Amino acid sequence: MTMATDPTRRPEPAEGPGTFAEPGHPADGAGLDPAETLRLIRQQQEAARDATEPDGRLLFGAWGLAWVIGYLAMWTTARETGSPAPWAGWVFACCIAGATTFTIVHSITRTAGTRGTSARVGALYGWTWFLAFTALGVVLGAMGNAGASPEVMAIAANGFACVIVGLMYIAGGLLFEENRMALVGGWMLVAAVLAAFAGMPTTYLVMAVAGGGGFLVMVAVEQVLRARRRSEGGVRRA
Amino acid sequence: MPEDLDPVIHAPARLRVVASLAALGRGDEVAFPKLRKLLDMTAGNLSTHLRKLEDAGYVRVTKTHEGRTPATYLALTETGRTAFADYQAALMELLNGAQS
Repeated sequence: MTMATDPTRRPEPAEGPGTFAEPGHPADGAGLDPAETLRLIRQQQEAARDATEPDGRLLFGAWGLAWVIGYLAMWTTARETGSPAPWAGWVFACCIAGATTFTIVHSITRTAGTRGTSARVGALYGWTWFLAFTALGVVLGAMGNAGASPEVMAIAANGFACVIVGLMYIAGGLLFEENRMALVGGWMLVAAVLAAFAGMPTTYLVMAVAGGGGFLVMVAVEQVLRARRRSEGGVRRA
Repeated sequence: MPEDLDPVIHAPARLRVVASLAALGRGDEVAFPKLRKLLDMTAGNLSTHLRKLEDAGYVRVTKTHEGRTPATYLALTETGRTAFADYQAALMELLNGAQS
């Protein structure tokens, strides 16, 4: 028996129309009622997304921890002596490097074995982050050479970093149709303004609480949305 | 009406294949080994189901080379997406019919 190549053709009785465990049709979907079938679809799609898309909770979590730990180290030491201790600078640098590495490895692992529009857009998006922060580093270097004071440098470094993060998250929200991501971006722009006007060393505290805290709030939001999606009866994003 | 359920999609194994491919973005493809691992099927079993879906015009199979290694990528066609949407709509109708 050949499989129907024309979808409009009536199938042969043995491959007959799908039914739910009716007498004489035990083969297709046996034992599954419509609700169970919909549940199976939802579970399968969740598993497929887990296997092909980065987990927002892990990425937000990594960056939240990096910002909270890194900026708190800068703030606590700057509060005592006026400027951050060298070890705090290293802690901060290691936190950012760690979160960056985790993001790259996690994204590449999850998206491996897929290709097409998302992969191209994702790669371009990742490179844009890299280019933006490289450019920021060079501009800050030039500002330092031109005689900017440590306080001006600190405000510029934190403020521009926050602006880049904010804009990149808004861009990501548009690209990946993730409104929550765009919302985080908007919040990061607010954090940039707050941090700039807080004055040193409070700027670091604002970055830790508003910036890092913002990421960590998103971990909770993602978790709640995920749990809600799991318990829902219907099918979404079909 | 149960008669409206698409028999190509309704078999549990093919339903899982179609649901997985529908979770990908439009214009995205997944490599055969990755799909096989995700579905936890044998290569032969998955190939058989993919052929039926391809024959129905629901799945597009692209054979290519990555370096010297042959690679196969799978994606749902627009026909496949429509058929899956219709299938889910039919299921919802059945569900609502059963409840009322």
